[in-house]
Amino acid sequence: MKIAFVVQRYGLEINGGAELHCRWVAEHMKKVAEVEVLTTKAADYITWKNHYTRDEETVNGIRVRRFPVTRARNPERFGRVQDRLLRHEHNEADELRWLDEEGPRTPSLIQYLKDNESAYDYFFFFSYRYYHSYWGIKTVPRRSILVPTAERDPVIGLRIFQDLFRTPRAIIYNSVEERKMINEVSGNEQVPGDVVGVGTEVPGRYSGEAFRRKYNMVGPYVLYLGRIDENKGCHKLFDYFIRFKRESGSEAKLILAGSTVIQIPSHPDIQYLGFMDDEEKFDALDGAELLVMPSFYESLSMVTLEAWALGKPVLANALCDVLKGQCQRSNGGLFYETYPEFREALSLLLSSPRLRRTLGENGRRYFEANYTWDVIENKYLALLGRLEKEKSA
Amino acid sequence: MGQDKIEIDYDRIDVARIMDQIKEKIAAEARSEPQASGAEAAPIPELDFMAGQGRMRRVLLKLMSPFRPLVKLLILPVDEEHRRTVLILDRTNRRLDRLISEVERDRRVTIERLDRLREYTKLLHHLCHNLVIEMSKLKIEEETLKTKTRVMEKDFEFLGKREKALEKEALK
Repeated sequence: MKIAFVVQRYGLEINGGAELHCRWVAEHMKKVAEVEVLTTKAADYITWKNHYTRDEETVNGIRVRRFPVTRARNPERFGRVQDRLLRHEHNEADELRWLDEEGPRTPSLIQYLKDNESAYDYFFFFSYRYYHSYWGIKTVPRRSILVPTAERDPVIGLRIFQDLFRTPRAIIYNSVEERKMINEVSGNEQVPGDVVGVGTEVPGRYSGEAFRRKYNMVGPYVLYLGRIDENKGCHKLFDYFIRFKRESGSEAKLILAGSTVIQIPSHPDIQYLGFMDDEEKFDALDGAELLVMPSFYESLSMVTLEAWALGKPVLANALCDVLKGQCQRSNGGLFYETYPEFREALSLLLSSPRLRRTLGENGRRYFEANYTWDVIENKYLALLGRLEKEKSA
Repeated sequence: MGQDKIEIDYDRIDVARIMDQIKEKIAAEARSEPQASGAEAAPIPELDFMAGQGRMRRVLLKLMSPFRPLVKLLILPVDEEHRRTVLILDRTNRRLDRLISEVERDRRVTIERLDRLREYTKLLHHLCHNLVIEMSKLKIEEETLKTKTRVMEKDFEFLGKREKALEKEALK
C-alpha cells in the first residue's frame, strides 16, 4: 500500500500542532506502508514564504516532495479579507477568495495530485482550512482521508467547508467534540470516520529533581507549556494566578515554558524559562504538581496528554469543550470557567496530594487506553482495512 | 481555602461531581455575600484608648485625654472613610469580576446560538429553494401528463369511430 501525507509544512524544525501530528503519524505508518509526504516549500505559517530550496528530500527515512508557494500571504490583507468575510453577508466566491488569500497557494501540488492519483492508494490531508486540503480533496475525493484538526473557530462555519467535510472517503477526528462539531456544521454523519488523535513518545528517563536542581526551584509549582499567547488564554491565566496568590497566600509558583507572543507580567511567583526541548519538558512535567491548560481553542492538546502520560493532573479551561470533555472522560483533571472556579479547583488540587495522585493515575490510564502509538496505529490500520474492504465489495 | 466542604470518593472519583460541588460552594458564597457586606458596612467601633496595660501607657493616655475629641475629629473620620472606601472598592471589584465572567459566558453562548441560528436559516433557505424547484418540476410533469391524457382520449375517440366504421363496412 502506498500512502501520501499532504500537509502545509513539513520538517524536523516545524513544531506546529497539525504539522507535528502529521510527521509523527507518517513516521509510524512507515512501518506498514510505503509513505511519502507532499508539502510546500514554506516554513513560516504567517507568510508561507518559500524557505526550502530542494524539490525532494528524505526526512527521517520518508521521501518528501516539496512544491513552491506561488504567492506569499500578506497578513494584513488576509486579516482584512477575513474580517470582511466573517462580519458581512457573502457568497461562495468570497469564501474561495479568502481561501486563496489564506494559502499556502500551491497549484503545482494540486496538479501533481491530479496527474498521480492512481500512483497512491490513499492521501491523508492534514488541516481542513488550508488551500492544499480544500483543492486536494476536490481533486482526489475517492482516495482522500481528511484529518481536520479543527478548533471551535468561526471559519468552520463557512459554506465551502460544509461541502468539504462531506467529500472525502473518510475523516479521522482528534476528539469526540471535534467530530460532534463537524457533524453539526456539515451534516456529514454518513462519511466514515473514527476518533483517533495522536500518540506521544514518553522518554524512558525523566527527572523532576534534575529540573528543580537546574532552575533552583523550591516549593510546589504549576506548569504551563506551550505558546504564551492571548489565544491560548494566558492573559486570563496570569490575572487569575496573581489574584489566587493574593487571596490564598499559597506558596505555589507558576512556571511557563514556550515561545512568547504577549508580555509576561512581572511577579515574583511567575517564572518564564524560555523554549524547552522535549527532554527538559518531561523533566519539568515530572517536577510539577499539575499542568494548567488555559487555552480557549484546542483540537486535542498534546501537552495535556503528555501530562497524563506522566501521571500528572490537569487544570483546564472549561470554555474549551475539548479540554473539558477530555477531563470528564478521563477523570484526570479539574476545569474552570470563572475565577472563583479556578481558585477553588487550584487550591483543592494544591492542598490534596491524594487527589493529584488519583487524577494523575486516571489520566495515565486514559492515555494508555487511547493515545499510545500502538492504539493509534491500530486505529489507522482498522480504518484503512475497512476502506479496502468497502472498495473490494 | 474552602476545600473542607468538597466530598471526594477516591475509589470512584468523578471530576464532574467535584466541579458541581465547587460550583455549589461558590454559589452559596455568592448568596451569603450581601450579608457579609452588611456586616462590613457596620459602624467602626470607637477606638478604646484605655485598652492595653502598663503604667506608662495609662499615664500617657490620661495626659492625652483632653485632646481626645480633637484626635477623634481629625483622625477617625478620615480613617473610617478610608476603610469604607476600601471595602466598597473591594466589593465593587468582586462584583465587576463576577459580572465580567457572566458577560463573557453569555457572549459566548449568544455567539454560538447566533451561529447555529444562521446555519438553520441558511439550511431553511436551501430547503425552500429546493422545494420551489421540486414544485416547478412537478407542475411541469403534471402539465405533460395532462397533455398526454388529452392526446390519449382523442386517440381513443378516433379508434372508437374507426371501430364503428369498420363494423358498418363489415355488416354491409
